[in-house]
Amino acid sequence: METHGLILTKRLVKAFKMGQQKVLAVNGLEIQIQSNSFTAIMGPSGSGKSTLLYLLGGLDRPTSGSIIVGESILDHMDENELAAYRRQKVGFIFQSFNLVQSMTALENVEFPMWFSGVPPKYRRQRAGELLKRVGLEDRLLHRPAELSGGQQQRVAIARALVNDPALILADEPTGNLDTQSGQNIMQLLSELHRDGKTILVVSHDTRMLRYATDVIYILDGRAVSEMEYRSNSEPSMQ
Amino acid sequence: MKLLDLLRMILDNLNRRKSRVALTAVGVVIGTASVVLLISFANGMQQNTANQIGNMGDLTTIFVYPGAPMEVGARSGGGGMGAPLEKPLNNEAIEQISTLPGVSQIIPRVDLMGGSMIKFGKLEAWASVVGLPIQDASVLGYTAKEGTTQLERGTAILGGWAVKNFYDPSMRPGQEPPPPPDLAGQQVRVVIFKYSEDGQEIRKTYSFRIVGVLAETQAEADSWLLVRMDDLIPMNEWATGQRANYKRNGYHQLIVKADGVDTVVELTKQITEMGYMAWTPQGIVQGMNSLFTIIQVIFGGIGAIALLVAAIGIANTMTMAILERTREIGLMKAIGASNRDVLSIFLGEAAGIGLVGGLGGVLFGWGGGKMLNLVLLQTLTTQAAENGGLPPTVVVYTPAWLPFFAVLFAAAIGLLSGLYPALRAATLEPVTALKYE
Repeated sequence: METHGLILTKRLVKAFKMGQQKVLAVNGLEIQIQSNSFTAIMGPSGSGKSTLLYLLGGLDRPTSGSIIVGESILDHMDENELAAYRRQKVGFIFQSFNLVQSMTALENVEFPMWFSGVPPKYRRQRAGELLKRVGLEDRLLHRPAELSGGQQQRVAIARALVNDPALILADEPTGNLDTQSGQNIMQLLSELHRDGKTILVVSHDTRMLRYATDVIYILDGRAVSEMEYRSNSEPSMQ
Repeated sequence: MKLLDLLRMILDNLNRRKSRVALTAVGVVIGTASVVLLISFANGMQQNTANQIGNMGDLTTIFVYPGAPMEVGARSGGGGMGAPLEKPLNNEAIEQISTLPGVSQIIPRVDLMGGSMIKFGKLEAWASVVGLPIQDASVLGYTAKEGTTQLERGTAILGGWAVKNFYDPSMRPGQEPPPPPDLAGQQVRVVIFKYSEDGQEIRKTYSFRIVGVLAETQAEADSWLLVRMDDLIPMNEWATGQRANYKRNGYHQLIVKADGVDTVVELTKQITEMGYMAWTPQGIVQGMNSLFTIIQVIFGGIGAIALLVAAIGIANTMTMAILERTREIGLMKAIGASNRDVLSIFLGEAAGIGLVGGLGGVLFGWGGGKMLNLVLLQTLTTQAAENGGLPPTVVVYTPAWLPFFAVLFAAAIGLLSGLYPALRAATLEPVTALKYE
């Protein structure tokens, strides 16, 4: 597994047009994240934390500023290089799981390997191993509709691991789950961290702080100190 | 993405949506089937006509008739009273025509100038008596059904239909007509008649030995009684009561043989420009060919309209599929699919629908053609027998290239109609696609 050093953003700006208005979702953000850390990004709705995650994952492009992940300078990459970056360097986990409903658990985990050119025989074997690792060896041929939310999210985690990326990006991974399932997912992410992955989790869930090694607080598209964050957002937080 | 994986994924995706793929493909099936069937139908018509024209005799033959009457003012030198008003086919004309490039032979023709009848025993028949200075009718492309095509003085060759015309004048109504007599080697009498000044019919009988009966040609020769010109000239002299100088005043017709099928039409044009009326079966063949090309294009066009509707169906299905699968597209991009991968997948699915429809369409079009052949051939053959023509050999003819072309064409149509939806899919912003509800 490759250790890719630091994640770094410089004067990062992402602007959206909302009707006539220009909204700055990320506004001059500067952060540093150590490799092999478990970093929680905390912030209220609309603070720009999900946007930051998508920017770091190469799914979105910044309006200005630069993003460096290991040796990759994301804002210099073209579409094909970004696709290769997503294929090789990162694994995504989403709040709504984003499994393909018509595919079995096994097929969903295999899916990314179609694009990375892994031979079919090896695909099946690898997907089986990963589903076993997340505790779903008896659910291989179930479709998402036949799985609980927690099980679906574990399929999604297995899928994120399939190309053995160094960086795992999770967008509210526990947001759609009950307390117990959420707890299990956090534990699973923590295990992955112990195995050497860099984990970056965007969350509302303060329980995540128990597993995180680092925390980044975000308000209005900017990184702030814990103190500033608490004094500004406490009333609005749960 | 590897090509094999791409193909497998396209197949999987089509397989996952069987009913929708099938419904969309039905449109392509109808379109392709109509293209195949209509073009095959036009081809069948062409084949049939070509077969029937092919029997008309040698396609290197040009029939030349005397030129149309010229305006009197255009004539150089007074022809005087009784001068022919048409450009005659005399020796001068033969010399003139023989200088044209591509002419291999010129055979003058003389027709009997009067009424005639052929008698065999108590049977009678009518035929047009034609005299040619030839030793063998095969130089005109005719073949013998019975006997030979070799022609000597005192012998005659009968056309394919003329032999069926024999009837018994003493036969009472309701009696079975006699079967066509077997004439090869038999002596027949040719009775010619003319009228005296007081209106009396005068007859004269000549005797000929029939040496052969020609195979049917669906042309003029079918009703011929072909004799040597030297035999016919005295008959004409008796019938008209005067000696005719054909070399000077012109024959009734010249049969010009070209040295190849390619030069025939050009040669016909040149002879026409010289002021004669010239006609060749090859001209009909060419005219027919261009006519059938037009028919094929029109028929193909009708089928193509059906295919166009099918193409819009594919575009519609693919656009819907992309709306439905927006999140899936977003996910594909998040897990590392390139724009090209996404484009290839959706283009492949569209082409796949076209291909499936094309295969089905070729099957139906080809099978339908076979069935039409079975049903129509029988009816048309019966009809042809009643009306006395050659039976059609084929109604619907599918040339070998057509099924392959149709399948490829259908797949290409699918690909083309998938272009816009697939491009949209490929250029979707991943984040927008992932959040699409």
